[in-house]
Amino acid sequence: MELINFLGQNLADFWSFTGFANATPGHIVMLCVGLFFIWLAIKHDFEPLLLVPIGFGILVGNIPFKIDAGLEVGIYEEGSVLNILYNGVSAGWYPPLIFLGIGAMTDFSALIANPKLMLIGAAAQFGIFGAYIVALAIGFAPDQAAAIAIIGGADGPTAIFLSSKLAPNLMGAIAVSAYSYMALVPVIQPPIMKLLTTKKERLIRMKPARAVSQNEKIMFPIIGLLLTCFVVPSALPLLGMLFFGNLLRESGVTTRLAKTASNALNDIIVMLLGLTVGASTQASEFLTWSTLGIFFLGFMAFVIASASGVLFVKIFNLMLPKSKKINPLIGNAGVSAVPMSARISNNIGLQYDPNNYLLMHAMGPNVAGVIGSAVAAGALLGFLG
Amino acid sequence: MNRKAVILLFGCLLLCGASVFAQGRRAICINEVMVQNDSNYIDDYGRYQAWIELFNSAYAPIEISSMYLTNDKNNPKMYPVPRMDVNTEIPGRQHVVFWADNEPNKGTFHINFKLEPGKDNWIGLYDADGKTLIDEVLVPASLGANQSYARKQDGVKNEDNDAEAWEVRDGSDEKYITPESNNIIIDSNEKIEMFVEHDRYGIGMTVISMLIVFVCLLILSLAFRAIGKFNAKLAQRKREEATGALASAAEVDRDPDSGEEIAAVCMALHEHLNMHDHEDLVLTINKVKRAYSPWNSKIYSLRELPHK
Repeated sequence: MELINFLGQNLADFWSFTGFANATPGHIVMLCVGLFFIWLAIKHDFEPLLLVPIGFGILVGNIPFKIDAGLEVGIYEEGSVLNILYNGVSAGWYPPLIFLGIGAMTDFSALIANPKLMLIGAAAQFGIFGAYIVALAIGFAPDQAAAIAIIGGADGPTAIFLSSKLAPNLMGAIAVSAYSYMALVPVIQPPIMKLLTTKKERLIRMKPARAVSQNEKIMFPIIGLLLTCFVVPSALPLLGMLFFGNLLRESGVTTRLAKTASNALNDIIVMLLGLTVGASTQASEFLTWSTLGIFFLGFMAFVIASASGVLFVKIFNLMLPKSKKINPLIGNAGVSAVPMSARISNNIGLQYDPNNYLLMHAMGPNVAGVIGSAVAAGALLGFLG
Repeated sequence: MNRKAVILLFGCLLLCGASVFAQGRRAICINEVMVQNDSNYIDDYGRYQAWIELFNSAYAPIEISSMYLTNDKNNPKMYPVPRMDVNTEIPGRQHVVFWADNEPNKGTFHINFKLEPGKDNWIGLYDADGKTLIDEVLVPASLGANQSYARKQDGVKNEDNDAEAWEVRDGSDEKYITPESNNIIIDSNEKIEMFVEHDRYGIGMTVISMLIVFVCLLILSLAFRAIGKFNAKLAQRKREEATGALASAAEVDRDPDSGEEIAAVCMALHEHLNMHDHEDLVLTINKVKRAYSPWNSKIYSLRELPHK
């Protein structure tokens, strides 16, 4: 009898440790969200490299367990494996490493060949500040508003970097929102582009870009770093790594390093970043009214950013001679969802003129958007950090 | 790499090393001093002693062993901070207190001189070379019992007149004494408060930040426009030089060929046409060793990764 009691007691103890005993409706909702992300990524190919790790991370972060048992398994428990991996997010060193990879992958030739396209990348950052104004109006504090608004830059690492500094408690929701909308760029942007342009404008053909010499490509990251970081030193972690990665690529003597930065290292960081960001969305932190507000503001930010890029090109065209007009369909590419938004410009352009390839022209504002959003993040951090 | 480049590289490295060293130690400063401690802060032996607080104004830890504390300008090496004590590494934005009790045998933080109440007390902090003065303060003779002489803000100096950066604190609610703690307790982010007060709708932030983004990218754009133009000119000049060289070469070609050149061309043609007639007919069979065979490959026994 004693043995049965003993076994019964142990089984009851064991049961109290299981996920079944500790599950709450919040956990179930978040597990469904995680599964939905994985489904989106695999079934519909929406940013699978990001949504699969994030979706699986949501599952990992929302497995219920007994919090007061001291198991050291939760992402917020000091010293747990997930907590150690999460340090890259909370201390903000994953995003600069991702930027290193982006720099090593990106060819800035389109931008160097036609430098005035950089201004489109600047104009599209209005999405960030438009969302900042709306976030303040809704009632967020300035630091939280800035962290949310950076979603408009369409740059996941930048959003994580800034939110980890300004509003760490909102970072999970901001990161998930940023990546979700980046995955939805093909759905969000085309209607805005079509709404704001005329058929005649969509048919504008741009001159092919000039050839860019190797010297110019090497000078770009060096001069880019010096000019931008002297103005906004707070963007140094992001821009420093972006330009460093690009110098590795373009110098021609560090091919091995460039390959590692753009392949193995970048993949490792993307996996860890995605998984830990997903795991940080624990139901108690994530299922709040703030999250709904963040998703709404993120959407607003994307819409404003896309619209402001297109409108800026239209205004800019008023000042340009007829032979140098810019097709406003590349305005949406000012957000830094590289290269997806540039591809959208190209696809819409081809719908109206099957021989008008805009991809290379759109890559200019697209990569300028990466720099622009990092500068905007630096400015916000400088003012509010 | 030529010798000049190596020397230049060494020079740069030395310069970087020197500046890093200087930047590190210069972040340490004297932050608060109490000369007559009757009932304020008790040391680790349970006694009231005069104390000197140092502050690391950097955000990274700094090791202060081998630095010197002194109250005599003629003897800058009066108290060397002992080595091999883990506590002499001050974490970023943190403080450490030294007890001026003239009893250095009591531990690392008990120094070998005393401060004298009722007199001006000069205190200096020197770097490990005993020559570089890192920070100094002249504590006024008027400082009373249980009063401290503290920087108004932690680690903030006034380059023109450092005395203005200091104030006397009497322990009241406004002038609190804070050994091993911040001289000012910050419970809100001033920047955010300022934006809440002056820029409620975010218009100011939007205008300034958009201006910054535009200026940054405009500068970059102008720089690369200029570089592009310069490059185009350079390429044009090179083309012109090449065309000029070709033209002059063409002029040279118009000269009658020398006999030597004709002989060289004939010999080259002869070699090309006649030298390799036998080798074309030779067949060579080399043994090729193939250690690999698909039959013993592990890869075929594993399942391939699924592709969509």
